Amino acid sequence: MRRRPGISGLQTAAAARDQYRSLGENVAKIRTDLMKEQLATFRNQLEEFARKHKNDIKKSPAFRAQFHSMCAKCGVDPLASNKGFWAELLGIGDFYYELGVQIVDICLATRPHNGGLLDLEELRGLLAKRRRASREPITEDDCLRAVSKLKSLGGGFEVFTVGRRKLVRSVPTELNRDHNLILELAQVHGYVTVQEVENELTWKAGRALDALENLMREGLAMVDDGHPDGKRRYWFPCVGSAATGTEAAESVLSSPN
Amino acid sequence: MADFSFPYFYNYPPYFTLQPVRDTREKQVELWKQLILKYCKHHKYFVVDLEEGDFPLFANANIDRKLTYEAREVFLGALVSEGKAEWMDKGHRRCLILWRRIQDWAELLLSFVRENGMEDSVMTLEEIMSGDETRGSELAGIDRGVLIRAIKILEQKGKAAMFKGQATDDDGVKFSAH
Repeated sequence: MRRRPGISGLQTAAAARDQYRSLGENVAKIRTDLMKEQLATFRNQLEEFARKHKNDIKKSPAFRAQFHSMCAKCGVDPLASNKGFWAELLGIGDFYYELGVQIVDICLATRPHNGGLLDLEELRGLLAKRRRASREPITEDDCLRAVSKLKSLGGGFEVFTVGRRKLVRSVPTELNRDHNLILELAQVHGYVTVQEVENELTWKAGRALDALENLMREGLAMVDDGHPDGKRRYWFPCVGSAATGTEAAESVLSSPN
Repeated sequence: MADFSFPYFYNYPPYFTLQPVRDTREKQVELWKQLILKYCKHHKYFVVDLEEGDFPLFANANIDRKLTYEAREVFLGALVSEGKAEWMDKGHRRCLILWRRIQDWAELLLSFVRENGMEDSVMTLEEIMSGDETRGSELAGIDRGVLIRAIKILEQKGKAAMFKGQATDDDGVKFSAH
């Protein structure tokens, strides 16, 4: 005989559902609480760690890099916000903002000379000069971090690699593959000739001249017709010998205007 | 005299070729203008001869580069248009470099006279250019033409009177610099 559903049966089913739900909610709550607790502990620990090692983080570049990589592993970005407790705690946001401003300053000041491409090593040298010896040393890692923060400003701030050098770009110029290859080639002597480019890269006539003229128009290359062999040389101040470049940048930075 | 220290770009070959791209050229001209003025001031050069080999600044043996005549004319021409130099002939072969303006030379002369209690004295042009009194001062080595023009400014203000000597060596000036 088939039983028809009765009131009590429905009530039992509803009660069971309720119980399941509340149990489930309980479990979820316990889990959340646990997570919250863990997070709080983690945060406390990290804060404590940061507070304890504040000076090390500010002073020692190696320590700073390790701290960053640790934060990155836990998915924490101490630079994400200037308002976060990191900034208050460490002033670490300020550190990179200050560095960023100085980098922008140097890039703009040296742009007339290098067309907006600056060797990263050169930049570091100039930063060190500007920040004076009393300040904490700046590593390549710090520069890269600061520049990556500048990227969000637009204006094309970016670090890219050409050959064995890293260049900081402060102009929105897009460099294509041809340009990069030429820059790489120019690192050897600081200059290239059309013939050199064509031979080294086995390009057909016209391609090299085209790319070189383009680089020149962008202010990245300068022509030199004065060599006794009569061949036009294209010089690249951004990959020029480090000494000349730094001196150039310094003279630009120290000029009164 | 301390050695002249050349700026970085003087050893960078492309700065010896006139740059075809406008922005780069402007920057280049600006740098050369400053260098020419500084160099002339340091060595007390007043007249620059554009002909090849005459003016040492225009060739850098270290990097085996020299400015073309055209480049020399462009850089000096830029100074001329700023009033910091003057062509001395129509063909633009010689250029007078005024790293100090004529009226500033006049001021300098006047303050030299006052500082040395020579308000009423008489000096020959030769004495001013290379005499004992001016030795070591900024007036020493001044170009004769520039000196005469400076004195003429003082004359207009009634602070000096020029007179002719029997020979050009004796041309002189009587100050009344009170």
